[in-house]
Amino acid sequence: MSECCGGVKLGQRVPDFEFTTYEPTKGEFGKFSLAEQAKNKRWTILFFYPADFTFV
Amino acid sequence: MGCDVVTVSTDTQFVHLAWQRDEKELANVKYPMGSDPTANLCKLFGVYDEKTGLALRGTFIINPEGVLFNAEVNWYNIGRNIDELLRKFKANVYVARKTNEVCPSKWKDEGDKTLVNPGAKMVGKVHEALRS
Repeated sequence: MSECCGGVKLGQRVPDFEFTTYEPTKGEFGKFSLAEQAKNKRWTILFFYPADFTFV
Repeated sequence: MGCDVVTVSTDTQFVHLAWQRDEKELANVKYPMGSDPTANLCKLFGVYDEKTGLALRGTFIINPEGVLFNAEVNWYNIGRNIDELLRKFKANVYVARKTNEVCPSKWKDEGDKTLVNPGAKMVGKVHEALRS
């Protein structure tokens, strides 16, 4: 493993990002974007985990 | 203060859908399940394990202006404490509003003891400040 924990640092502005989501409440696919969160003045908690179909 | 929790793994959105429908433990999931098959986001946050192509158990709190205020990364075999995550989130929201206060380790929620204007006068007197 090359650089665990070597990403964005505390206190730094996170570069904008966007990714595709599955939205269980709608049963549809969607998008999540940090810029959209800023526009709506909302906090974000990103919760990474290794893989679906495992004991998360 | 509004907050959105979003989960992220290197699985595609199609696998998220299949897993959420299949696994009864996930029947009540409300949060969006993010897909990062290129691992670009995992790399941005430093949680990508190149040996496995998977994301470590990283949790990141970002304020509405896009600034990162909290980071926690656990190895594969250790789960996260959601009460502690909630405590840290509430503390971050609180000190964003009350910028002259700090939340000690035992702080849990609004109304709990904080330290106000920690400065020269408090050096060596934290015990008294916490118990006054």
